Amino acid sequence: MFRKRKLAAAVALGLSAATLTACGDDSSSAEEATTLRLWHYESANSAMGVAWDRAIEIFEEEHPDVTVTFERKAFEQIQQNAAMIINSEEGPDVMEYNKGNATAGLLSSQGLLTDLTAEAEERGWADQLSDSLETTARYDERGVMGSGNWYGVPNYGEYVMVYYNQELFEKHGVEVPTTLDEMTAAMDTFVDKGVAPLGMSGAEYPAGQLFYQLALAEADRSFIDSYQLYDGEVDFQADPLASAAETFDEWVKKGYISRDSAGLKAEDMGVQFMSGKVPMIVSGSWWYGRFKDEIPFEWDSFLFPGNTFHAGSSGNLWVVPETSQAKDLAYDFIDITMRPEIQELIGNNGGVPIDADPSKIEDPKDSRLIENFNAVTEQDGLAFYPDWPVPGYYDVLVSALQGLINQSRSPEEVLDSLEGPYQEGVEEIDAR
Amino acid sequence: MATTLMPSAVTETQPGPPHTKDRYRRGAARWVVLGLVAVVCLAMLVPFGFMVLNAFKSPGDYSTNGPLSWPSGFYTEGLETYWREADYPVKLWNSTLIAGSVAVLAVLVSLLNAFALGIGRVRGRVWIVGLFLLANMMPQEALVYPLYHFAKEVGLYNTRLSVIIIFTVIQSAFGTYLLASVLSTFPRALLEAAAVDGAGKWRILWRIVFPNLRPTLAVLLIFFFIWTWNEFLIPLVMLIDNSTQTIPVALASLQGDRLMDAPTTNAGSLISLLPAIVFFLIFQRTLTRGITAGAVK
Repeated sequence: MFRKRKLAAAVALGLSAATLTACGDDSSSAEEATTLRLWHYESANSAMGVAWDRAIEIFEEEHPDVTVTFERKAFEQIQQNAAMIINSEEGPDVMEYNKGNATAGLLSSQGLLTDLTAEAEERGWADQLSDSLETTARYDERGVMGSGNWYGVPNYGEYVMVYYNQELFEKHGVEVPTTLDEMTAAMDTFVDKGVAPLGMSGAEYPAGQLFYQLALAEADRSFIDSYQLYDGEVDFQADPLASAAETFDEWVKKGYISRDSAGLKAEDMGVQFMSGKVPMIVSGSWWYGRFKDEIPFEWDSFLFPGNTFHAGSSGNLWVVPETSQAKDLAYDFIDITMRPEIQELIGNNGGVPIDADPSKIEDPKDSRLIENFNAVTEQDGLAFYPDWPVPGYYDVLVSALQGLINQSRSPEEVLDSLEGPYQEGVEEIDAR
Repeated sequence: MATTLMPSAVTETQPGPPHTKDRYRRGAARWVVLGLVAVVCLAMLVPFGFMVLNAFKSPGDYSTNGPLSWPSGFYTEGLETYWREADYPVKLWNSTLIAGSVAVLAVLVSLLNAFALGIGRVRGRVWIVGLFLLANMMPQEALVYPLYHFAKEVGLYNTRLSVIIIFTVIQSAFGTYLLASVLSTFPRALLEAAAVDGAGKWRILWRIVFPNLRPTLAVLLIFFFIWTWNEFLIPLVMLIDNSTQTIPVALASLQGDRLMDAPTTNAGSLISLLPAIVFFLIFQRTLTRGITAGAVK
């Protein structure tokens, strides 16, 4: 029995060796490339998944001699291994990759990504993107976003808004707020009626994003440039961050945010909203498609009241690895995804296109999602996310704000614990 | 051994209050123990139960009624989606191929190493065994980059062979450690008798040592299979084509950046777990036999 198994194992080894050699025969020269290897990690029924499937079809119609080899990847896999993959021969010709300093920025500073500046100018991508969207497409030689060459092209956008349950609003006689004061008044009404007004998750990103939205209520562009792009000093004990911590603390004390939410995950918060337990959540457009599919009651969204600036950014980027063997085809593919047809398809499937006419979007709710986004980008109002500036800051934010939610720490202590890691991280980046 | 221990255990209980209980008539206690075991079993099965419950729930049902509710309908699309999108049969074949090859090869390598260390008494064997143990204790995160680099240099990056080689080495480090200590207590008389009868080393290994170790080797084989089956990090790094990936890596593809699809993840976990359960059930008897075989000797 043992011998037989050994034989089987030997055969198995032989087989895997055969597949190895089969992998090595990709075409090498750029002119005669006949395949485009494309990777992304959006699920097939998401807005981007649907739109990009169509983009592949269009690409194949326009390039009859080229076959597109598409592989859907795990987010985790790309997140962990992108540098290793595109540093080898096995990588794709064009792929979706996370925007930001720690991801696309880092790879660009290591010389692993193709400079797309010339293409962006020539093909008009630069004109399609507003300034705050362009920020995440360009990285300097340190890998810091905001200036320098183009290393990625965003295809869609995302932003943080307030989702609300229309049925609960009507039942308790609450109007959609347009200022922060009206928002607090609305939450007071819910508290009086015994309804927890705001769904929250302390164990993941939502707490940090609400804190940031509250800071943005009092911030100007120079604060955002200092905080995100290191253009100046950030004083954690002064406004807008100090007032944000105070307000957050007050919201917990007044019962707008439940203390029990300190340990909840974002998924729990979403499920609370979808099951009608909380009338409002402050979160991003990535929920939109799922809410549309799964929520049985009437709901809608509005921009965080009173803010000029909103947490949000471009979506993930198309990047072309330096090792790509079909760069021209990759540019053609990116160009197709920027066309109105594909952009509208993103919008009609519950995504946020970066360059689409809201009047071409059929569903009024989808169209409002895009109008709101366009309103934000027109006033250059995307402020990115609070955990972006320094590596590892996400965990710092989560643990600091958990202290506020369960009231184990004062706002001053929270600001202190946010300041140290931020300053250290920025010093490291400056030293690069 | 047990018989010599028992009197001392009895004398220990004597200083306590007399006539409290008879060791041999613990009727109630038995039921208590049984009850406790049943409770622990149930507690172990709870997560599994929730997985099954949510695997057959539609996403809308999950979102509106939460994870604890009874499914409002029998929904199998999650299973179908995972089967189709992950290309499950390919992943199943990859996982079986990798885990199976590793289990067989690692047991073979462990046996040969342990024969040299335990029976052959190689000079400095304590250090060698210590080194093997160290290799086993190294966190995989520390190994990943060097392994990637070497695999790329020899052209094995993105092949199942690379993962098979890596895990054969990692698992056999543990196997060598275990078998070497088992074999160091192997009855010398048996070996000497065989040598007197004219058996060479090769013959002693396969005719004397191997049959005696068989139950232990079977247990190792099963462990190696299940451990390798569940490995995530190294396959994630080394296998980048969808056609070479294993089941745990495919399961990770259901988890997005900020969104998760709980029912599909549950459905995926369910069918990803089944092969390991089936494997365990088939070899379960070998497993218990192997453990008791060691004890009786």
